Amino acid sequence: MDIVLRGIVVFFALYVLMRIMGRRELSKLEPFDLILLIILGDAVQQGLTQDDYSLTGGMLAVGTIAVLQVVVSFLNFRFPRLRPVLNGEPIVIVQDGKPIERNMRRERLTYEDLAESARMQGIGSLDDVAWGVLETSGSISFIKKSG
Amino acid sequence: MSCCRVGNQRRVGATPDQIVLSRHRDLEGRRKGVFWRRAMVGLLAAFLVAGLLNVFGQRPEDTTVQAAGVSLQLHAPTSLRGGLLYEASIMIHAQRTLHDPVLVFAKGWAVAQTINTLEPTPATQSSDEGQLSLGLGPIQAGSTYTLFAEFQVNPTSVGSYSGDVTLYDGNTKLLHIDRTLVVYP
Repeated sequence: MDIVLRGIVVFFALYVLMRIMGRRELSKLEPFDLILLIILGDAVQQGLTQDDYSLTGGMLAVGTIAVLQVVVSFLNFRFPRLRPVLNGEPIVIVQDGKPIERNMRRERLTYEDLAESARMQGIGSLDDVAWGVLETSGSISFIKKSG
Repeated sequence: MSCCRVGNQRRVGATPDQIVLSRHRDLEGRRKGVFWRRAMVGLLAAFLVAGLLNVFGQRPEDTTVQAAGVSLQLHAPTSLRGGLLYEASIMIHAQRTLHDPVLVFAKGWAVAQTINTLEPTPATQSSDEGQLSLGLGPIQAGSTYTLFAEFQVNPTSVGSYSGDVTLYDGNTKLLHIDRTLVVYP
């Protein structure tokens, strides 16, 4: 029972943590972020199963997190009003080639981040961008100007 | 999206599907989002500060009581977390000879934790309704007896427990330390 309870607490703690960390951190996976991710997983595991090395314990922990993920996904699908809370909402950060600074500041995005994301999508200049949208996943979508 | 070329200028297409400019660009109705995010970050910071301030253990604290030429000092944390390993020490400084000193640990010491070892091994050990009584053997006047105890907190014993320690000489109660052990998950 204890592992299931711990799993529930860890799941929601991580969910809230990911939501408050902001999308910028989610979108990038640089070497240091990867190391942090591994450390995070290790630290969480200690609290989740503690000294329980059993297969049953491991399955209970993994099963709890999997079920909660399905539940959150179902809530997200079934109740649209919960989506902004559970998933967040996209934010327009570029319109007609011009970055919207207020929205970028809100998400702690710099012009350099924006330019880098654009380059990764084969866009050399923001002037070519009609719309830039910071998605709920943390990635930036660019829609090029037509013509 | 619609588009057309005007001279050599390119036109910005229509707003992408599912994007509502008032909400996703002008952030109408989303001002509270920043407030909540900052509030949650503040809460997280407060949690970390509480950790730094030893609210969740396991920094040891000293408690000393003395009377009638005997002092009893307990060096152990009062806040613990499941699974922690730690050492506690109990020091008895006798200014007069104690012929039959007995240390009695409240039930919480053994219920919430696994006792890994006691050094030196007490001369006698007994249990009375969960309280552990350790007979230490005579302590000469002017000498100090130190008992080291190694514990591991049981991960499932979240809650608060009595961590009292009492020193007897035979059947005479000499000193008592009143403590509460709090075990965090």
